[in-house]
Amino acid sequence: MPYELDLLDETAWRDLVDRFGHRMWAVARACGLDTADAADAVQAAWLRLVESLPSIRDPDRVGAWLATTTRHEAVRIGRRRSGDRHAELPAEIPAPDTDPAAAMLTVEDGRRLWAAVDALPEPCRTLLRLVVTVPEAGYAQIARRMAMPIGSVGPTRMRCLRRLRALMGDDR
Amino acid sequence: MNPPSDEAYLLAALRMAAGTDPVPPGVAADARAAYALRLPGGVTAVPLPRATGRPGARSGARREPPARPPGGAGERGAPPGRPRAGENEPRLVSFAGGGLAIDVEITVCDGHLDVAGQVRPALPAGSRIEIRTPRLSEVRFPAGSGEFAATGLPHGWLSVACHRPGQATVATRWLCVRP
Repeated sequence: MPYELDLLDETAWRDLVDRFGHRMWAVARACGLDTADAADAVQAAWLRLVESLPSIRDPDRVGAWLATTTRHEAVRIGRRRSGDRHAELPAEIPAPDTDPAAAMLTVEDGRRLWAAVDALPEPCRTLLRLVVTVPEAGYAQIARRMAMPIGSVGPTRMRCLRRLRALMGDDR
Repeated sequence: MNPPSDEAYLLAALRMAAGTDPVPPGVAADARAAYALRLPGGVTAVPLPRATGRPGARSGARREPPARPPGGAGERGAPPGRPRAGENEPRLVSFAGGGLAIDVEITVCDGHLDVAGQVRPALPAGSRIEIRTPRLSEVRFPAGSGEFAATGLPHGWLSVACHRPGQATVATRWLCVRP
């Protein structure tokens, strides 16, 4: 459903929250934030939308804009947590990312995605299940559970996600 | 652990499909309530980047320190955000937009925030300054100096709006300040 942002009434706003709130939450949590910080990242994105309504040129892409803004805010909060003082000012409003994985997921999409995870070899299958279901788990915890060197967790995770993306591409 | 964008979105898609981490009710409620925070026709004042080098040095045209709220303590110049352990000094953020410069100094106290600031140039008669949080607002009618202050605000989101008769409202970008 397209949105006329200048004319957005409260019902349309609630519809935006219902449609995109889950995805925004998942993006914030996927960036490794705990629930309190993820809540701030999501609320930051909604407040940026409040500030930016008149300047958004493409209402059809407001979902991608919200997801992108959530990710930017989540990354900024993560950097601030790690002591980067330059990350403490509000993020600039980003251009929407174009990532097919950010599109709305249907139940069937989700089933296909997890079927692809199950088709991956180890250690990818277990590693991705851990990363997804225990988002607060740090590399040290994952390394212990997976019995792998801590320095291997990040590169392995990236390699597994690439393999998953390739599998999903083959499946299309 | 901040993955690049495509990795974050793929992980997010997996998390959504797993259905094991629903959106907390409070997060959805805050998102719905954000609608009431719109300022139709308003102008957003954006934060000015901090100068590098001397700690606390700032870019921008800051001339006078803003008013200090009762109970405020410590030095000016620390940035906003989460304080380090034992840190209770005010953080200063300068904004510009709509022809106004707005300095906001925030002190994080146990259980609340104190806010002081200054708007330049002087606002016309009949103007008011609204210190906004998602759940409550404090309104001040600034003197000629443009200084304002409010105490006892809740931790979290904060914005300062300048309402001028016959002109667009200028509001700072929302900041999140927590202990």
